[in-house]
Amino acid sequence: MGEFAIDVDGLELTYSDGTRAVRDVDLQVPEGELFGFLGPNGAGKTTTIKVLSTLLQPTGGSVHVNGFDVVDRPRDVRRTIGYMAQETSIDNDLTARENIRFACEAYGVPRSKRADRIDELLELADLADVADKRANDFSGGMKKRLDAATALVHRPPLVFLDEPTTGLDPAARNRLWEYFERINEEGTTIVLTTQYLEEADQLCDRISVIHDGEIVVTGSPEELKREVGGEVLDVELAEDGPDVERARDAVASADAVDRSAIDVTDDGLSITSPRAREIGTDVLLALRDADIPVLGFNVRSPTLDDVFLAVTGEHVEDLDADGDGSEPVEASR
Amino acid sequence: MSTENPSQRSQQATGNSFVGDVWVNYKRWMIKSVRNPFILTGSLLQPVIFLVLFTQVFGQVATSAIGGNGAAISYETYLVPAIAVQTALAAAAASGIGLVNDIEEGMFDKILVSPMSRTGVFLGKSLAEISRIVAQIVIIVGLGWLLGARYATGIPGIVGILIVGIVFSLWFTAFSNIVALVTRDQESTIIGANILQFPLLFVSSAFLPLSVMPGWIQTIAAFNPITYGVDAARALTLGEDVMTVIEVTRFGGVWDTLVPAFAVLVALDVVMVGAAVVMLNRAAKSAVQ
Repeated sequence: MGEFAIDVDGLELTYSDGTRAVRDVDLQVPEGELFGFLGPNGAGKTTTIKVLSTLLQPTGGSVHVNGFDVVDRPRDVRRTIGYMAQETSIDNDLTARENIRFACEAYGVPRSKRADRIDELLELADLADVADKRANDFSGGMKKRLDAATALVHRPPLVFLDEPTTGLDPAARNRLWEYFERINEEGTTIVLTTQYLEEADQLCDRISVIHDGEIVVTGSPEELKREVGGEVLDVELAEDGPDVERARDAVASADAVDRSAIDVTDDGLSITSPRAREIGTDVLLALRDADIPVLGFNVRSPTLDDVFLAVTGEHVEDLDADGDGSEPVEASR
Repeated sequence: MSTENPSQRSQQATGNSFVGDVWVNYKRWMIKSVRNPFILTGSLLQPVIFLVLFTQVFGQVATSAIGGNGAAISYETYLVPAIAVQTALAAAAASGIGLVNDIEEGMFDKILVSPMSRTGVFLGKSLAEISRIVAQIVIIVGLGWLLGARYATGIPGIVGILIVGIVFSLWFTAFSNIVALVTRDQESTIIGANILQFPLLFVSSAFLPLSVMPGWIQTIAAFNPITYGVDAARALTLGEDVMTVIEVTRFGGVWDTLVPAFAVLVALDVVMVGAAVVMLNRAAKSAVQ
């Protein structure tokens, strides 16, 4: 065993109330990969991660992590993984150093290596100068980094990160991304979940889009974008202008535009087409003929949001609504 | 061994021995309780207030009420064992608060994904709580002595009082952990564990002999674990059989109180701790959210 850090076959998780949180999930993650689960709240990402990290028992299927069956050998799995929960999990009464030390002791890091390991992780998490301050006084980003550091004390070959950057400001998010990329480059397999398309796009080698407990598509960000089938033409319409349905009718009337390729967005319309560049003029003319003013016009490559829309029929945008309002897009630039 | 992982990393931790797991968690909770002055003083504050106020306010009246059986006992001496048990009760109530805090802070999950033995984790936490109870009862016993309480059985008796405090605390520790697991909410746990303390204390032999109380209180007190804890501690303080709810004469002197009291408390501990362990295991297996 063991070419795969994760080998899942037909995973099912049904809660006692009958909710099928995860349905028939098959997944292989090779070692060294930075893999992402992308999906909205309640899609089953966290549930899947909890099964992989032995916090939940699967109700069906077989799950091997680092070659160990999660049901039969949970302790071997626990020994060889790091896990960072969605909610920041640190002991606020302890200092940064004590938090890391506790984790070292919990994982049985040999005493002789402990001091060096703690210093190294404090350095990596950029907390060396506040090492002996109580975690209670830390900012959200500092707590997250400390949390991540405690998940790495035993140098696990595989680390699970459940929405590692949710609720962080863009600067803190960037810093955490660098940190994850660094440990991944050092050979650690990383499996993360995210609601942020940019995060998945920027960090992950491969992504599974998960929706209603099922994996709807898996691939590299580029492959997934190719799935969308072309480039995207965004048309920005005036907010107080004619209603968007009339605009959609107008655009659909243009030759070469397939009605099903037109989506209503917050700002107006977006049209997906392999010939997005060529049909632009037709679209503009159709709108002008219908007396609909156009404020903006842009042809772009598809994003993962487009992928999400294409495979699930839903936008991911509303997912960020409860976030901190900062656009993850800016965070990556 | 199939534990080899093909990745190049060689530093995988091996986990600890069981004793190691207990020790790691014991240390964590000791640091937390020292760091958190509220935990240490907060649960001691009320018993100290009771001790000082009750002896000062009711001392005169109460001394005559307890003096029924000949020997003159000061109310201070009479009250200290009850306050010792109250201290154990208050400290035990905080145990569930610690657990719910861990659940809320995510430390519960974090510990569950570690290779530590679950039993070791909770044993370590419980031992830290017991250490605290011992320290607090020592403080109460010392304070009582300053106020005029005298311990007829000397140092062995005081050690005995500490053991009573520990044995007494277990069932209530288990109870407060059960409340924590059921409510999963810090405030509810604080309220749930505290709301019982006062009625339990007053409807028992803690503050006055049951013989001077109305019949219904005497009836309830016979089923109240506090009566057994207080009677055991009091027997050790006074050096005589003080239990009235169960009359035993077979063992002689102090043992006529200690044997039945410990029998009742240990039985209660087994039942409650058993229930708490079952619930903790269930919580550890299923989703914490």
